Amino acid sequence: MSSEHQNLPVSASLRSPARMATAGPSSTSDSRSESSNNASGGAEGNGEDATDNSNFECNICLDTAKDAVISMCGHLFCWPCLHQWLETRPNNQTCPVCKAAISREKVIPLYGRGSGNQQDPRDKLPPRPPGQRTEPEPHNGFMPGFGFGDGGGFQFHFGIGAFPFGIFTTFNNWGAGAVPPAPGTQQYQEERFLSQVLMAMALLFLLWLILV
Amino acid sequence: MANIAIQRIKREFKEVIKSDEAQKCAINVELVGDDYRELRGEIAGPPDTPYEGATFHLEIKVPETYPFNPPKVKFVTKIWHPNISSVTGAICLDILKDQWAAAMTLRTVLLSLQALLAAAEPDDPQDAVVARQFKENHALFLQTAQYWSHVHAGVPKGNSEFSNKVRCLMDMGVGEHQALVALSSCNWDMDRAIEQLFS
Repeated sequence: MSSEHQNLPVSASLRSPARMATAGPSSTSDSRSESSNNASGGAEGNGEDATDNSNFECNICLDTAKDAVISMCGHLFCWPCLHQWLETRPNNQTCPVCKAAISREKVIPLYGRGSGNQQDPRDKLPPRPPGQRTEPEPHNGFMPGFGFGDGGGFQFHFGIGAFPFGIFTTFNNWGAGAVPPAPGTQQYQEERFLSQVLMAMALLFLLWLILV
Repeated sequence: MANIAIQRIKREFKEVIKSDEAQKCAINVELVGDDYRELRGEIAGPPDTPYEGATFHLEIKVPETYPFNPPKVKFVTKIWHPNISSVTGAICLDILKDQWAAAMTLRTVLLSLQALLAAAEPDDPQDAVVARQFKENHALFLQTAQYWSHVHAGVPKGNSEFSNKVRCLMDMGVGEHQALVALSSCNWDMDRAIEQLFS
């Protein structure tokens, strides 16, 4: 099946290199002016001289390829067009012409002589969304600082890890919380009591740590 | 509609009009309205098939996301074919679903539909009744499909036996198309068709 597909693009893409080869290296300026004529003709889209520029048309938008890239199977696209096609089917990335497997990494940007900007079109145009990655919780790395590694106390590690944070969050809420309860209310009393209890427990625990 | 969709459809429209196939009257497209969202397609029945000489009209709706998603195509002309619903005209064709590729055009879609008429896929049917007849009683399927082309799609040659049966049911007060569907799906057995219609 794949060999069948490979034959197809070769015959299709043969036409343009063959045409350029006949122009030869000596007539570079001629072929250049010819290609710029083609480009302007393509922009008009009147289709009168379509036989010439159709070799350089994007296979998706059917217009002269801008920020051109070429697939390994030899098919020409605008990078924005191909990018949108790949985004439409992220799980089934196939060449829109011959259905060969393609990917962002396996297309080649084309740089014409006249184009001033030599930036890789794949970097310039629709930037890929960055990966959504969050750092893991740091509580495991916090432990060894206590020098508490006598092997048996593995469950203690978690308890200790969570405990000081609990205190800190309580204090943070106290200091920077948006709406601290007004003094005198029942909530104020309760929170004050709670923080005192926690503080006492923390002190006892630290004492125990030092003594044991 | 997105700019790329309009630009593409305009180009494809011209491409179809100028194509060799259009010159031979095998395919054609017309605009419905002036915004290129909806078109009317036309395909000729391929030779050496029961659809030969027929002209089928299609409804083509271009989505906003064209050409990254396929156009929505269905038959307006009634047709007896395993992969096309005889009731709604809905088409079962892979390239109009998951096998669509952005480089396909109106022209290739119309030509694919023409090829589908010439090579049905009864194992992946849209219309199960038609598909069963296609597999179990192929000669009758060919006659039925040809008769539908005569009634709905402008083929001159009819079938006097079939038209007599349809007329007979119409005399009982059944609508013409209803009679045609009932007889076609009952393999042109009058008694079964009557039973199906009046039970």
